[in-house]
Amino acid sequence: MTCANPIDFDSLVAYWLGELPEAREATLEEHLFGCAHCSRELEGLAALASGVRAAVQQGRVSLVVPGPFVQALREAGLHLREYEVDSGGSVNCTIRADDDAVVSHLRAPLSGVQRLDVVQMRGGGEPDVRLADVPFDAQTGEVLVIPSPAWLKTMPAFTMRMRLIAVGEAGESEIGEYTFLHAPG
Amino acid sequence: MGQASCLDALDDGALARRVAEAGHAPDSPAEAELYRRLAPRVRLYGLRHLRDRQAAADLVQQVLLMTLERLRAGKVREPEKIASFVLGSCRMSVLEMRRGTRRREALLETWGDMAETFEAPEPLMLDPDRLAGCLDALSERERSVVVLTFFADKQADEVGAALAISGGNVRVIRHRALARLRGCMGANGSGSGIER
Repeated sequence: MTCANPIDFDSLVAYWLGELPEAREATLEEHLFGCAHCSRELEGLAALASGVRAAVQQGRVSLVVPGPFVQALREAGLHLREYEVDSGGSVNCTIRADDDAVVSHLRAPLSGVQRLDVVQMRGGGEPDVRLADVPFDAQTGEVLVIPSPAWLKTMPAFTMRMRLIAVGEAGESEIGEYTFLHAPG
Repeated sequence: MGQASCLDALDDGALARRVAEAGHAPDSPAEAELYRRLAPRVRLYGLRHLRDRQAAADLVQQVLLMTLERLRAGKVREPEKIASFVLGSCRMSVLEMRRGTRRREALLETWGDMAETFEAPEPLMLDPDRLAGCLDALSERERSVVVLTFFADKQADEVGAALAISGGNVRVIRHRALARLRGCMGANGSGSGIER
């Protein structure tokens, strides 16, 4: 199963997402319908897209996301438990069996921040995890963190701390620290 | 050479010609092989344009059963161009489905007995544990772009607006992230991370 003139993967992605001009899309579809090789490539992409969606719905990934994505999760019917924490604050938190995800709203003064990192400290000898260059909303002053729900549901009571680090040309500065006192649901 | 491998050697057009020449004394193996080959392409077209798995599955049945019926009846003028015929039928059917003039009940009413004769291959599935590990291995920025893109099939400009970066920047990050993901999964549709 080969193709003398295969469609490049970026074009397949653009086609899948509806980014191509109409004429280019029509030409590409003609090729796809006559080419087992390229349609197999597209099937691989469709499987990847579907797998990513399932990974989020099944809580298999940890995410730092912008506000519109949390809205998309709600619209998809996911049950979200949400906590809002100010800088220096702490919160008692949990995840129940019927929760699809826990969203932590970390509040901080973010105006003027160019790049933001999140450091997660789980304690108990586990190494700190640094998430570099995360999405944030400077206008609302929020960073939205979604730990992997599948992982969180296996956890006994524990404490996790998160620090927000602004990274700029002048170096790094901590702009917030948050404490989560987790208890099993 | 067995019948299956004999059919394997035929291209789509030759296979369609064979179905057409058999007329109403159906060449069942040839029809089944043509259905098996074209079903994934029609399903992908349906998913791309309808964004709904059940609707895409309905489209497969509707288009391919109608195609086989027309081939049998000698109503496909150029069986060698069967791919173009099927694509045209997909376009028409999707328009009808969007208008709501086609319903699953009508589909079953028309093709009920014939629908049970043919099987489409199962869609490709990824190993979910492996994919979760591969997503985890991406940088935070790459993971954000991939998840925002594919959770609801969003274009680069929409993802860029949500992340406060340009659409062009999203395309660059998306390209890099997908290359890494496919490498991690053993992609191109044939790697060990992908199975039917």
